[in-house]
Amino acid sequence: MKRSKRFVSEVLTTLKDNIQRTGDPLGIKDVYWTQWAKGLNLPRQGDTVLLTGRMYQMLPYITQVTKIISSARPFLSRSGLGAMVNMGNRLMGDKVIRFRALGSRTIRKKSREVLQGIVSALSAAGSMPAYLYEDEPYSGVLLYDLGLDAYIEEHIKRVYHVLKAHHVNRVICVDPHTTFMLRKVYPAHIDHFDIEVRHYLEVLSENAGMLGDSCKKALNREYVIHDSCYLTRELGVVEQVRKVAGTIGITLKEPENTKLDTSCCGGPIEYAFHDLTERVSRTRVSELAGISRNIIVECPICLINLSKYEKEMGVKVWDMGELLYEACKT
Amino acid sequence: MDVTREEIVDTLLREVGKCRACRFCVDVCPAYQATEGIESMSPYGRLQILKYLLNGTLDEDDPSVYCLYSCLQCGRCDLLCRAKGQNLEVSYLIRLGKYFLSQGLVKGERNEKV
Repeated sequence: MKRSKRFVSEVLTTLKDNIQRTGDPLGIKDVYWTQWAKGLNLPRQGDTVLLTGRMYQMLPYITQVTKIISSARPFLSRSGLGAMVNMGNRLMGDKVIRFRALGSRTIRKKSREVLQGIVSALSAAGSMPAYLYEDEPYSGVLLYDLGLDAYIEEHIKRVYHVLKAHHVNRVICVDPHTTFMLRKVYPAHIDHFDIEVRHYLEVLSENAGMLGDSCKKALNREYVIHDSCYLTRELGVVEQVRKVAGTIGITLKEPENTKLDTSCCGGPIEYAFHDLTERVSRTRVSELAGISRNIIVECPICLINLSKYEKEMGVKVWDMGELLYEACKT
Repeated sequence: MDVTREEIVDTLLREVGKCRACRFCVDVCPAYQATEGIESMSPYGRLQILKYLLNGTLDEDDPSVYCLYSCLQCGRCDLLCRAKGQNLEVSYLIRLGKYFLSQGLVKGERNEKV
């Protein structure tokens, strides 16, 4: 709690600066979000596009950023040193983050397979969206979560302009946060918002028959499900994941706090309050581990947070996209 | 967002004033559970902090920033509030509280106060 005000102030200022400067919350100028699509030859333009919002691709960098923030917290909380750290972030921040993230092979592989699995499943279900590659924008969800409403409209308008410049009329999002932003927040800032916003699990559950027919193998395994707060409570996507899981041969077990009453993974506050996040996520993993050692999640923030306890608590955390990758790969 | 600080304060005070202090939202908050019963780390506690920040009783200091910014925005309190018939958008109000605080926290431009 000590020096929280100055610390939060530094985090908010850095985030706002990064997004205004680069359009990216991490302030990374180079394109890091397209590598997963290499070799897939997805169409670059189309009425319907897959919008990853860079969330899964960001995971190796988020891991590093939270480590850097934790170790820099004593400096960030002091006025003169905080300004120096911010200056360092502007000049070298993205290079340091990218260099440190080189070692995060496991999470890099995971995020690649999640996105490739989702694309394979959508294709199997008869829906092959385009992908905007380097033009793909970040939704701005962190600005919204942290109450930076004064800066959000400018970002939202920029994203909307990019989508309309590519003649996009429908987006299929892969994570709950981007879906929430485009479905609930964007229409409040854009007059006559005319883009249909779907989550990939909604699309797959509507075409579960086709997905089941094209599926290469049934997985025949049992998992406990950790529902996402945003996906269930904000977007009402509850049964769709259960239907899709059943289609690829997965039996889902329900923990104590599930569906609309799901419990948070702790991820949204990790940027600043690492100790509190750890207590929240440890409690949730214990709850899930009591039901099954194999945990399914459907959100990148939940994936990165709960995965930290794999070794310590003897669990394995899978994203739904990874299981789709396994079920649909040739 | 073209709203004045006074408009935000009025809206927030009016909405926060609708809370009947039933405290059903307290126990379901993961941050409250993790801190083993500190009420200012619960949705109800955060609404009280917000109310006292808005009416000038509390300062925008370390504890109030910590309590408001440690809200996970998971929306579990909203579900309870709806179920108990009060139907306050608790997590949205707390997010607006962050917006209120952010005006004094983000450095540069018109906001530098820290």
